[in-house]
Amino acid sequence: MRNRTVTFKLVTEWFHVKQNKLRRDVFQAIADPTRREIIGLISQQSLNLNALADHFEISRPAVSKHIKILMECGLLTIRQDGRERYCEPRLQKIQEVAAWAEKYREFWSLKLDALANFLDSENQPK
Amino acid sequence: MKAEPLVLERTLNAPVASVWDALTNNAKMKKWYFDIADFKAEIGFEFQFYGSKDDTRYLHLCKITELIPEKRLTYTWKYEKFPGESAVTFELFEEGVQTRLKLTHAGLESFTTDNPDFAPSSFNAGWTFIIGTSLKDFVEGKNTK
Repeated sequence: MRNRTVTFKLVTEWFHVKQNKLRRDVFQAIADPTRREIIGLISQQSLNLNALADHFEISRPAVSKHIKILMECGLLTIRQDGRERYCEPRLQKIQEVAAWAEKYREFWSLKLDALANFLDSENQPK
Repeated sequence: MKAEPLVLERTLNAPVASVWDALTNNAKMKKWYFDIADFKAEIGFEFQFYGSKDDTRYLHLCKITELIPEKRLTYTWKYEKFPGESAVTFELFEEGVQTRLKLTHAGLESFTTDNPDFAPSSFNAGWTFIIGTSLKDFVEGKNTK
């Protein structure tokens, strides 16, 4: 009986992981303010799960859920150290977001250049 | 990490009234911004445009939410068929005969999705086209003062 339960649990976990792989990315990770705050906290220092949960008003299971999503998005890993479990950032993923914002910076810079040129051409009719 | 809005500032060699006109007069907007079928500077006015004539993938949907003549213009900025909504604000500050323009684009991080078509790589390809080709042609063509 126990074996069957374990097998069932493994299958459902595998299924969830597989599903989540399809839809987790860094942008989903930072779409939520609590997750952004978690990333902010662990980017300063790695924190154990309890210390991290203490920073938030929301319940521990709710914090755990966000941590799980961040793990699935590849933004943090859990390190076991004796009895403590620590959250450690994987911040290279954040670069994807920076690259995203950078595209817009480039886009608006060029638009503003175009605006400046347009205003100059208005000022100096040929 | 915080989702900071994108902020750009530029000092323009023109009075506030001219800059405001370039931002809100559709005939002038076509010269440097986008080809928008219909644009009226009114709160609640909704307009839409494609990134460029050749890039019909991303229909931009905008709605004016703030309008203080010659001072401040805000509209929402999102994409048809894609989740997420951002907001673009133009603020103008008179500096003698010049104008300082501050552009703020907030909420870019909300463009998150399950749709693989909106993965950063494919999205970037669209923007690269707009930035790299159509806009560059315009800017460099104009750059003959």
